[in-house]
Amino acid sequence: MVHKIIKFKNNDVVGSINDFLKNLLETGKLNALLVQQSTPSKKVAFPVLISDAKKLHADIIAPILPSSTAKIVSKMTKFQASPKPIGVVMHPCQIRALVELVKLNQAKLDNIVIIGVDCLGTFSMNTYADLHGKKKPTELLLESLKKKNDEVEKNLRTACQVCKDPIPTNADIIIGLYGSDIEKEVLIEACTENGKNILDSVKLDEEKDSKNREKAVKEIREQKSKKREEFLKEKSSIKGIDKLAEFFDKCVNCHNCRQACPICYCKECLFDSSVFDSEAYKFLRKAETKGLFKMPNDSLLFQLGRMNHMILSCVECGLCEQACPNEIPLMDVFIQVAENAQKEFGYTPGKDLKEKIPMIVYKEDEFTEVGEK
Amino acid sequence: MSEEKKENKKEEFEPKIVGFLCNWCSYAGADLAGTSRIQYPPNVRIIRVMCSGSVDSMYILRALLEGADGVFVGGCHPGDCHYIDGNYKARRRMVLLNNILETLGLEKERVWLRWISASEGQKFADTMKDMTAAIKKLGPNPIAKHWNI
Repeated sequence: MVHKIIKFKNNDVVGSINDFLKNLLETGKLNALLVQQSTPSKKVAFPVLISDAKKLHADIIAPILPSSTAKIVSKMTKFQASPKPIGVVMHPCQIRALVELVKLNQAKLDNIVIIGVDCLGTFSMNTYADLHGKKKPTELLLESLKKKNDEVEKNLRTACQVCKDPIPTNADIIIGLYGSDIEKEVLIEACTENGKNILDSVKLDEEKDSKNREKAVKEIREQKSKKREEFLKEKSSIKGIDKLAEFFDKCVNCHNCRQACPICYCKECLFDSSVFDSEAYKFLRKAETKGLFKMPNDSLLFQLGRMNHMILSCVECGLCEQACPNEIPLMDVFIQVAENAQKEFGYTPGKDLKEKIPMIVYKEDEFTEVGEK
Repeated sequence: MSEEKKENKKEEFEPKIVGFLCNWCSYAGADLAGTSRIQYPPNVRIIRVMCSGSVDSMYILRALLEGADGVFVGGCHPGDCHYIDGNYKARRRMVLLNNILETLGLEKERVWLRWISASEGQKFADTMKDMTAAIKKLGPNPIAKHWNI
């Protein structure tokens, strides 16, 4: 691993990191960058694909995740690998999602340089836009990195509060915020051969001592995993038919969660088909047996079915929850089931590109208690 | 006395079981049970599928949410799958489904996965007897009472 540092000019974190990114484009090591940039209104930051270094005013630590960047990479590479190197600046959860999409044959990593950024957490779209009027959300988060601020933490999306791992894995280059003296400098880490080659082309100071970083990474991981455990414990009571039906009470079957989910990639979803429409007499028969039933009648089946199809690859990015128009706190249930199901198969999504997804492999002598007693 | 017995019988709960049987083994096994005139409870409604591995958990969930008291999935014995490994994959899917059933609060004993070969007509009948008895013990599917699901 190679460690380098970006020294900030005039205490300008965002500007100095941008200079580094511009450098990558100018040296020709990367042909384009997929990176978050604030819209002219500055109310949100959206991923942009940028090839003109002069036009780059990225905001890579803007605490917002409008849509899945993994899905964007999939959009660009699922038919054909990129012919030229593209750098993709991603949140750790999105790198995990991208790894899953590669395993599902929905993206190709050739010529994709993953630049992971330590995640300080993200706000929901609305919170971010509201905050903008008062104080810049990016500054707010950087301040909270220096000094623990519970108020800021509480406003983060649930998924970020109980993040599985805010440090990128499987990235070529990591921009390390944790453990860096954020007033002055930020650590850049090359994790792969490819990443090393690219970093070598840019003039940066070498950093030999990464002890601070290691310590901070360990600390934040412990802190998050403790929070996650508490969360799991707190929400473990959402179980059983009554509680689950109540939990999904507000579901209007709009399928936004599926649309936002990086893992839900099916071109044709069963729930878009007319499988659940049928002749009137069938509905009548059901009404006569039950007395009454809720319409549309497939919303819980949709939730459970979707859960069943994607939960082993769930990277807990919480985009489903952000997309819900009725603010159902989906993560409360999904993290729970993901934790149990993934543990059952000893599988961690996004961890290892070579590891196959559990539903396509098997061992002859496993789970024998399920088939035959 | 005999009248009382009759009334008890009337009230006895008869479970509805949806059975997904693989074309190559379990369905042939059920066929054999029929042609050999082996008696088994009529509680199971059989749906023929090409392979136990083709039974998406969605089929099972839908049956349960629509009020089926039990779901039976029958496949070839391990190593005998017509498509080489469909039954092993069915078994993995069942493990995953059990996790979701737990969250849903349904007993996982309502969903059975069993291996029945084409020659095991007797085993098919016995399994149906066992399953019907087990589901009778569990009682009706609680979801059937809910109108908001």
